[in-house]
Amino acid sequence: MKRLFLLFVSVFILANILGSCDKIEQDDYLVFSGAAGEWFDGSGVSDHSQRAIIEKYTGVRCVNCPNADVAIATATSQYGDKLIALAIHDSSSFTRPIGDTPRLSTEDGNTWSNYFGVRAAGEYPAALISRTLNGSVWDLFTPTSGINGRVDNIINTATQVAVSVDATQSNDAVNITVNLEFLQTISDQMTVTLLIMEDGLKVTQRQADGNDDENYIHNHVLRDVITDVWGADIDCTGQSGEKRVAQFVYSDYKNEWNLDKCHIVAMISKKESREIINVAECSIE
Amino acid sequence: MKRTSKIIFATALFFQLPLWGTAQGILGGHVTGNVQFDGQVSRRDTVIGSNDVPEKLLSNARADILYTNGNFSAGLRYEAYLNPMLGFNSQYSGQGIANYFVSYKTQTFAVTAGHFYEQFGNGMTLRAYEDRYLGLDNAIRGIDIVYRPWNGVTIKGLVGQQRYYWDTRGLVRGFDAEVSLNDVVKSLTDAKTRLTLGGSFVSKYEGDETVLSDVSGYKLNLPNNVGAASVRMDLSHGGFGLQAEYARKGQDPSIMNNYIYKNGEALWLSASYSQKGLSANLQAKRVDNMGFKSVRSVSGEMLYINYTPSITKQHTYAFLSMYPYATQSTGEMGLQADFMYKFKKETVLGGKYGTDIHINGSLITGLDTTVIGGKGTDGYTTSFFGTGDTYYGDISLEVAKKISSKVKITATYGYMVFNPIVEGHEGDLHHNHILVGDLTWKINRKNVLRFEAEWMGSDSHYDVAIDDKRCGDWIMGLVEYNFTSAWFVSISDQYAYNDGIGNYYNISIGYTKNATRLQVGYGKQREGIICIGGVCRQVPASNGLTFSLTTSF
Repeated sequence: MKRLFLLFVSVFILANILGSCDKIEQDDYLVFSGAAGEWFDGSGVSDHSQRAIIEKYTGVRCVNCPNADVAIATATSQYGDKLIALAIHDSSSFTRPIGDTPRLSTEDGNTWSNYFGVRAAGEYPAALISRTLNGSVWDLFTPTSGINGRVDNIINTATQVAVSVDATQSNDAVNITVNLEFLQTISDQMTVTLLIMEDGLKVTQRQADGNDDENYIHNHVLRDVITDVWGADIDCTGQSGEKRVAQFVYSDYKNEWNLDKCHIVAMISKKESREIINVAECSIE
Repeated sequence: MKRTSKIIFATALFFQLPLWGTAQGILGGHVTGNVQFDGQVSRRDTVIGSNDVPEKLLSNARADILYTNGNFSAGLRYEAYLNPMLGFNSQYSGQGIANYFVSYKTQTFAVTAGHFYEQFGNGMTLRAYEDRYLGLDNAIRGIDIVYRPWNGVTIKGLVGQQRYYWDTRGLVRGFDAEVSLNDVVKSLTDAKTRLTLGGSFVSKYEGDETVLSDVSGYKLNLPNNVGAASVRMDLSHGGFGLQAEYARKGQDPSIMNNYIYKNGEALWLSASYSQKGLSANLQAKRVDNMGFKSVRSVSGEMLYINYTPSITKQHTYAFLSMYPYATQSTGEMGLQADFMYKFKKETVLGGKYGTDIHINGSLITGLDTTVIGGKGTDGYTTSFFGTGDTYYGDISLEVAKKISSKVKITATYGYMVFNPIVEGHEGDLHHNHILVGDLTWKINRKNVLRFEAEWMGSDSHYDVAIDDKRCGDWIMGLVEYNFTSAWFVSISDQYAYNDGIGNYYNISIGYTKNATRLQVGYGKQREGIICIGGVCRQVPASNGLTFSLTTSF
């Protein structure tokens, strides 16, 4: 009987390990899906630039990440507004705050990290530029080098869709306007992903020598994805020459964010492949 | 796993075996297998609704090969759907190694790596199985371990992904424990009363995805881990038996339940009694929101983790099985009673050779529900003992009697009620009366002739808008001749003589030699569904040639 008892205790423990299924309270069945926007015929986009976005997956305990920040800052200064930088803190062990400092992780960033295989690879820093593939896998790389070649490949191609974004703050909301102009016909379903990122965050960062820099300034930090994490559908035909405009209202920002140092980014993607075909950025006026 | 790596695995498996054998001493095993090839040619028939097949020939083929050597076994299955026969999902198109595994089993321990089939209890939390005639294969690719630490105790654990045509999806984990008290407790070893208790837990994991709610601007907060658990018992005393299983499932919004958050539950009960010449069985079940798939957004027959036992009779005669019942995992209640008795020889009713009677009846209804919302809510509430609409009911009486040493007759009467809503159609209930006469004449040791006549009277009428070609009154005749123990030929015709449409004739010829069987048929197949164990698939109309070759070695 003693052995039988031990067996059942073991089974009970195993059941509890396996049985950790999720329970969602009734009030939490629905969550904000992100602004979907309403699309109308627009007046076009004056700047037809093809831009790239570098999404850097990072963490405050990642000792090599400051080197990537230097390399990315160099690249953004070289490419000007043709290259937009975004720093994503997922929920890897590298993102655990050092001491009593704020956590920079976001659920949306974690969703992207899981989808693009960053957490599975476990190598930080890691980056993707405009969510391109290398063969059949995502072109993840260590962004301490190899940035320029990838950016050149993107910005030197003909623009398919020109995009601009404007954002103004009024009352307790940020009004965002996205303009599109199709320069080529695109048959794929398109999405726009709007996000808000913040510059100038002083948060302790571990350095390459192992020391913690309490005065480290984090820029381009993803704060929230305003649309659904995979974007809102663009209501369009995709015909060359088509001009569309949509307005979005965002009010879920937090008081501790400094909107003066925040930027709105609009990423235009192919819904199926999730490849980013153009991107634009603006500050909040 | 990519197709290429499967081929590498299989190649390695079979060509490396001698090397392993050198090292592990496993040479000297033996190889067994079977091969099946089914082909179909169909052409347009506007009356029954069949269409020309662009490929002219459709075929499903498979070869199972198994290597065993003592406790070790390994196998693979090659499948080719070029292109899939009518009624099989087009996503099967293609060919390749669909199933492979290695296994090692002793009396106390068994481990299988690769594809495996497994069942916990009645399958209400987990049943990975395959039915080639339904085009269903929810094999799990992963690791399956069975451990019997003591006599009467069995523990199973598994983890893996389910087959999805030529791919695998989802992530399923589960364990099961079963204890036979009579084997574990010494004082009960020789007891007439036998009791086995069991329990299982299964969970699945899915990542996040966007499913918009009906409320603008909001999406569903979906659970990533969903669990289902069950407890069961099997009690017997002499000829009496009582089995029960109760299962619950956590919140599992999915396309099957319109993304509601209600917990699922199912109860299955079976009481039986048997003695020589008599058996009786009573079954009951209640199922509420128990559909459990490894991917929430996939509809159709694939990726089911669990199985709800069917409690309707699997009829064999054509008209009795024309309306098979598909288990409604979203919600149903049912009862089935089954009684068999053999009147002994040399009695008034038994006559010279005895008489067998078989009575079966079942009734399935929906649940008594009160709707409280749609997608993104708890959906509905139910009254546990309340019943809803009638889904299905049938009762049949079969009398089988041998009237001479060479002639046996079977007469069957059946009455059936069918609600087309279980197949997704609107419409009135169908009420059918069915009569079947079956005469088998064993001419001599190698020649057998069988006649079958059926009639079905129905209050249903064929309506072009609904296009249910089973409606109306039907008659059928069949003659089957088995000769030389190797050949058989069968001719049949089903004809809708009133309020229906269609004349479905068939002729088939078959030849069997040792373990090889070849069958060729020509005729018409009515559009409908076929069900095995309450699991069903659509069968489109066809008009043409079918052929089948099976062999084993």
